[in-house]
Amino acid sequence: MTVSVKLESVAKTLGRSQAVDKLSLEIAAGELFFLLGPSGCGKTTALRLIAGFYTPEEGRILFNDTDQSHVPPHKRNTGMVFQNYALWPHMDVQDNVAYGLKMRRVSEGEKQQRVRHALEIVQMQAYAKRMPNQLSGGQQQRVALARALVIEPDVVLLDEPLSNLDAKLRIEMRTQIKDIHRKIGRTMIYVTHDQAEALSMADRIAVMRRGQLVQAGTPRQLYTQPESAFVAQFIGGTNLLRGTLEEVGEFLAVRTHAGLVRAKNGVNGLVRGAPVFCSVRPESLRLMTAAAPCAAAQDGAINQLSAEVRSVMYLGDNEEYSLTLADNTIMRAVEHNPTTSKASVGDRLALQFDAQAVVVLPQEDLGD
Amino acid sequence: MTNWLRRYDLNPATGAVLISLWLFFLAFMIYPLGHVFSNAFFTPDGFSLAFIRLMFSSPNYTIILANSVNLGLAVTLFATLLSLPLAFFLVRYNFPGKGLLNGLILVPIVLPPFVGAIGMRQLLARFGSVNLLLLQLGIIDQPIDWLGGGSFWGVVILESLHLYPILYLNLAAALANVDPSLEEAARNLGANGFKLFRTVTFPLVLPGYFAGAIIVFIWAFTDLGTPLVFEYRDVIAVQIFNMVTDLHQNPMGYAFVVVVIALTLFFFYLSKRILGGGNYEMLGRGHVTSLARPASPGMTVIAYSVVLSISALALIPHTGVLLTSLTKRWFLSVLPTEYTLKFYQDVFSHDLTVLSIKNSLMLSSVSTLFDIILGVTIAYLLARKRVPGRGVLDALAMLPLALPGLVLAFGYVAAFSATPLDPRINPVPLLVIAYAVRRLPYMVRAAYAGFQQTSVALEEASINLGASPMKTLFQITMPLIFANLIAGAVLAFSFAMLEVSDSLILASKEANYPITKAIYALLGRIADGPYIASAMGMLGLLLLSGSLFIAGRFFGRRMGEIFRA
Repeated sequence: MTVSVKLESVAKTLGRSQAVDKLSLEIAAGELFFLLGPSGCGKTTALRLIAGFYTPEEGRILFNDTDQSHVPPHKRNTGMVFQNYALWPHMDVQDNVAYGLKMRRVSEGEKQQRVRHALEIVQMQAYAKRMPNQLSGGQQQRVALARALVIEPDVVLLDEPLSNLDAKLRIEMRTQIKDIHRKIGRTMIYVTHDQAEALSMADRIAVMRRGQLVQAGTPRQLYTQPESAFVAQFIGGTNLLRGTLEEVGEFLAVRTHAGLVRAKNGVNGLVRGAPVFCSVRPESLRLMTAAAPCAAAQDGAINQLSAEVRSVMYLGDNEEYSLTLADNTIMRAVEHNPTTSKASVGDRLALQFDAQAVVVLPQEDLGD
Repeated sequence: MTNWLRRYDLNPATGAVLISLWLFFLAFMIYPLGHVFSNAFFTPDGFSLAFIRLMFSSPNYTIILANSVNLGLAVTLFATLLSLPLAFFLVRYNFPGKGLLNGLILVPIVLPPFVGAIGMRQLLARFGSVNLLLLQLGIIDQPIDWLGGGSFWGVVILESLHLYPILYLNLAAALANVDPSLEEAARNLGANGFKLFRTVTFPLVLPGYFAGAIIVFIWAFTDLGTPLVFEYRDVIAVQIFNMVTDLHQNPMGYAFVVVVIALTLFFFYLSKRILGGGNYEMLGRGHVTSLARPASPGMTVIAYSVVLSISALALIPHTGVLLTSLTKRWFLSVLPTEYTLKFYQDVFSHDLTVLSIKNSLMLSSVSTLFDIILGVTIAYLLARKRVPGRGVLDALAMLPLALPGLVLAFGYVAAFSATPLDPRINPVPLLVIAYAVRRLPYMVRAAYAGFQQTSVALEEASINLGASPMKTLFQITMPLIFANLIAGAVLAFSFAMLEVSDSLILASKEANYPITKAIYALLGRIADGPYIASAMGMLGLLLLSGSLFIAGRFFGRRMGEIFRA
């Protein structure tokens, strides 16, 4: 059985810090749900609360509307994949995977069949008799996954499962875990600090910060409609222009030290005179050499700021520019598939971006 | 209140375990010691410093005090002189046969020194083997009094030869632990040779040295067996031993014990704070390359001669015991003239010895079982749980390392007389508890190291998959720390088998004599006593060497950590 998971304003202190602070989440049955945030944001604590390793001090945790808050971890039927895999070094792969079934007193025949099936899912059937120390990191990771899946858990919990793998393997495993999720169709809650991992895999993501939920939504929602500068910056990276909101109407107009910026999008409830950030994604910036100014700049739909190139980084599929505006704000621009370089260090040029690409957000402190 | 509680992992089970542990320590460590203190300071007329004052004013007592302190200091000094060159050669140089020599160095520790004393007497007596040999060779024409008047130096020599391996293990570990890059940095900045040693190596090794030195000091300072065998009566340990019997008439026994505790604590403090200077964390340890460099042929010869001559010296008592145990006739000759295995047969047929072996096996097994249960529980709480009073629990579990067996046993006799645990009626329960308490630190350390090496995630993974915490303990944690438990248990068991002072003091009836007390009793028998005692000592030696070998296999290089304060 796969279940929905609900957290109702759950709180937990660890030592002296409020690790999780009035956190509420609703995770649908069968969803691949991500908890995303910088280190120390409480995402792992939240996962361990769901697993039952911690008991909430306030609030409730529900599986399918049944309160689990005080159910001990070994009775919750969750399958957890640990960051360092936590394979028992004194058991071979097969025994590691069979462990949960043994605890559930599954008959010998069924046990063998289920272990074999679980190892097939992660493509490790050939390694059943190996000891964990004879496996590579990626193989250990897959055994850990099989061990969590074989018990047919109500919820699969993954705590930064890919963080110990090298970059190439990490990207391969993304697809594999997504495939497995599709195959078994169980609720999976996945903790990571890697926003690319979250964007590429998640059905929905909850962004956490300082123990609290900042924003939850589909990857596309979070990327295109961030509700805070923190989310805009954490998901995908963005440029933030500091300014004061001057006009609220068809367009939002923001007075910045580098010039006036018009925006099509903004969070609700902003009033004239409010201190704000304009968020513009690096790939929305267009570099226009000063020699060919664009007439469209006069139209309110397109912003144009003058800038100077500080550095250029060629990355093959991308070219990254770092630019300074008139007020010394630093902007990052990305050109995809660069056939020729658009500018070189020291060039003065015009930076263009559509009002449609700008999101106006309230100013906030951006530390962790 | 709730905030205070929230900082800890407490549930009814943990709470109950914690309370039982506290009660255990309260009953068998704090109460007996407190009892000793109150008797030393309180007369029927109230608080009084009379006994303590008497201790420091009566010349009879001050001599005894001075003797014991001198004994401790002299043994520590000699043990240092023996172990320093050994550690230096064996840590800093590689040469063929190094492993073997390393093992040889540890051999002396496997014989309780009071058994060694039997052999020593045989060899170094006025008409013992050494003098006879020298006389025959014409090197001397008068027998030399090797053991010195009053036997002080006899005790010093024997204890130094017994205890230097403890110091060696600590020194070697400390030397090996010095990050080579620290010395390289000093060399890079212009230090070399002795200057390098004095400014960098020595200060870094010092804490490790003092950790071992304090154990050696306390051991020698409070050793009961050796002075007894050498009939050197003017030391605190023997005085206390004699006073146990008339405890209730003569309160000076309490005063002596209080002074022993005070001096022990004082030297302990001295070693930790003033001389040891705390422990240096080795920071930024990257890849630690071995400090050892290949020895030149000349250096190899020097290393071999140093190690072999020290070992030869250290094995004199063992040789003496071995020869004694095999002697059929040995009178005014360098070596026995006739040999026999009769005394080994006697060990297994003599009522006293057979019974004592049975007693020791039973007492040590039960006390080891206690140690396993207590040690694993305490180590688990320390390593895995946040519990209130964690620091105190840790300190109490480690206290027996610095608490002489003599003091503990005396405290038990004093505190539990005329209670159901009265050792004069049935010493078995208190013997078991004394053994268990004395060796508890080994078990706690061994198990704690195991828990530290085992990631908590391994346990959580098991619980997550449906195993109860209890099942997890037996299915996952225990198998993973099994090697540590074996090593700790083997040490606890074998040291309990050869425990001297608590056995001598607590075992009051022949029916309950453990091996060590039986050996002591046999020594008093004129005819075959010393021979059977030696045979028994040799068997004990075999047991302890076997155990240390097994423990060494599990502990490897970290063996020294077991013998440090």
